[in-house]
Amino acid sequence: MTRGASRTIMHIDMNAFFASVEQQANPELRGKPIAVIGAAKRTVVTTCSYEARAFGVRTGMNSWEAQKMCPQLIFVVGNNRKYTWTSTQIIGIMREFTPQVEVFSIDEAFLDVTGSRALFGPPEEIARQIKQRIRERFGLTCSVGVAPNKLLAKLASDMQKPDGLTVIRPEEVATVLERVPIKDLCGIGPKLQKQLTTLGIRSCGDLGRFPVPILKRKFGVVGEKLHYMGLGEDDSPVVPEEEADEVKTVGHSTTLDKDLSDRGEILKIMLQLSEMVGRRARRYGVAGKTITVTVRYPDFTTFSRQESRASATNSSEEIYQDAVRILDGIELEQPVRLLGVRLSKLSQQGEQLSLLEQDRKKALLAGAMDQVNDRFGEFSVTFGTLVGTASGAKVISPAWRPEGLRNVDVE
Amino acid sequence: MEFKISKEIFLKALQRIQGIVEKRNTMPILSNALLEVGNEQLFVTATDLEVGMKSSYPTQVIREGKITVSAKKLYEIVKEMPDEEIHFSTKENDWVEIVCGKARFNIVGLSSDEFPYFPKVKEENFILFKNEILAEMIEKTSYAICYDETKYNLNGIFIKGIDEGEETLLRMVATDGHRLSVSEKRIEGKVGPELAKGVIFPKKGIFELKKMTEEEAGEIMLGFMDNSAVIKKGNTVVVMRLIDGEFPDYTKVIPAQNNCNVLIGRDKFLHSLKRMAILSSEKFKGIKIDLNPQLVIISSSNPELGEAREEIEAQYEGNGISARFNAKYLIDVLSVMEEREVELKLKDELSPVIMKAAAEDDFMAVIMPMRL
Repeated sequence: MTRGASRTIMHIDMNAFFASVEQQANPELRGKPIAVIGAAKRTVVTTCSYEARAFGVRTGMNSWEAQKMCPQLIFVVGNNRKYTWTSTQIIGIMREFTPQVEVFSIDEAFLDVTGSRALFGPPEEIARQIKQRIRERFGLTCSVGVAPNKLLAKLASDMQKPDGLTVIRPEEVATVLERVPIKDLCGIGPKLQKQLTTLGIRSCGDLGRFPVPILKRKFGVVGEKLHYMGLGEDDSPVVPEEEADEVKTVGHSTTLDKDLSDRGEILKIMLQLSEMVGRRARRYGVAGKTITVTVRYPDFTTFSRQESRASATNSSEEIYQDAVRILDGIELEQPVRLLGVRLSKLSQQGEQLSLLEQDRKKALLAGAMDQVNDRFGEFSVTFGTLVGTASGAKVISPAWRPEGLRNVDVE
Repeated sequence: MEFKISKEIFLKALQRIQGIVEKRNTMPILSNALLEVGNEQLFVTATDLEVGMKSSYPTQVIREGKITVSAKKLYEIVKEMPDEEIHFSTKENDWVEIVCGKARFNIVGLSSDEFPYFPKVKEENFILFKNEILAEMIEKTSYAICYDETKYNLNGIFIKGIDEGEETLLRMVATDGHRLSVSEKRIEGKVGPELAKGVIFPKKGIFELKKMTEEEAGEIMLGFMDNSAVIKKGNTVVVMRLIDGEFPDYTKVIPAQNNCNVLIGRDKFLHSLKRMAILSSEKFKGIKIDLNPQLVIISSSNPELGEAREEIEAQYEGNGISARFNAKYLIDVLSVMEEREVELKLKDELSPVIMKAAAEDDFMAVIMPMRL
């Protein structure tokens, strides 16, 4: 690993993004504790305003839990289209300063501004300008971290919230990291943290000093990476979207309104997800050979099973049939909390017409259904078994990107 | 059980069944070959429950009996043995000893008790086929077999006999849903009810049948029992379970009103297609054919690479038509045709095209175009 001493990386994290967008859209909500929730029945808080956070409301809480913490909490049903639009605009602002923008999720991005210093001045100045433009145009605040690499930039942006600007200079790295708890590093989850704590490692300083052979023995290849993380070294590049690998999957998943164990009900959801996946693949003219089913139990055990087909498909019906076959091969040990269907090994869809009338009719039918749904909204025309079911995954996937196949209308 | 056999014969016997044994490790016994000796004969049997093969070979039997052994390992062992007589014997607990020259192998076998039952074949109601006829018909249709296992009714060749008095017209049809191939030949004698109705031979069985037709001269006997086809040639019997499904009505697929007829030299057409196909990548596959009176233009373009265009001489009198095709589908058809001139019959750019030899009517392919 090389020391990326000469790089200047910025991490921009929008503060309470969904909630702030809502507060800007509706002035009556400003300065009040609000929580953005999904449209499904059993929903969790996706974001809450800083006013709500003061009462202890947190992302991921059940709505009733949040209400108990803060009785005057205002619930706002999220409008994903609004957020994706705003996010795209904000990324546009960042691109005015560097083409090296890696969209990390809908409210986070990494910027490599190493080459922009000559044009726009020192990184603090660039950060200030970006913050100012975002505030002027959208009334939104963000926290910016500036550091020699992505790991430290993300750590820095987390240090001051909301509306922060934190710079970690190369010569300050060791001093800063000495007292930073390891859990603050992106990539160290509760499980890893616990394992490290048993070795007596609590701060990044501890981690950096810890003998590498022991780390390697305990964690394998990750051990060495952990060592460098402790030293604050990270040479991963900022990957702009254009250079990122071509999109390899189309998938949808949904957390169910209630845990399901009835096969009929589970299949209904599978059909719904298959239709969403098929429809999206058809819209982008791709077909896939591998189908993956993801299942999550109420205890959050999550696993996936996949199967490959002889020929690529984007037919909702074929995706569904394969998904059901995969599901039938899984022995469900608990009720199901979340279901996902994914199509991968994508290729551009051949425009080969079918010789057999039956197949041709199916293709025409799918095309006609897609047209109606384009005009009148998703699931306007759908399979008989789905009539009367509320539809749609209403969560923005972490894979969301401002352009290309992943820029889907998630509403 | 104990026997002695020449390496050459044993190797041939084991080679034959390599295509039959189960490759996925679902039931270990299906990866094994059943060896039985008695009456100065060695019987070798393999099956994957869909297609089974049993052959007999002359051998010197010392002790009668039977055992099953990994077909692949046994083949590898015998293949590397010196060219001498092989001495094969079973030991306690299903162990097997193979000795040849100074080499000695001890390998584990499995009891023959668990090996699936191979049906006894009654040699009644068999129809005789000439090797060459079956070989040619399979060659001209098998390329169109569908490999998508979800379309199981297309995973084989549909075979049907049409009664024409003293003679019978035998027809084979295969399709993958994008193209279809039909081959017809006249044979002597009458067919039974199964062939009269039409049956679907599975892909794997078809390829075994094709190998048998290519092995040595001789006739092939075909009969049916319990939803299976039985094929016998010389010392080998193959039993294959027929595909239990409805083959699509292929007669509906063959267009009747394609009036734009083009005559093209086969070799020129084939080579031009191979050249033009170079620029039709995975992503932008498809070549374009423009038909104009006395002039046919084949072209391809690929936004990532560039474009190619070629004129070929052809006889054509009709209106201008442009259609796009997957080049592979056209090449596949031309590759199995020996005749020098091919005839294309088109209707319009979105209807299927018929391809056949200009001089013959016993073979025809139907190909669906791509969207322009």
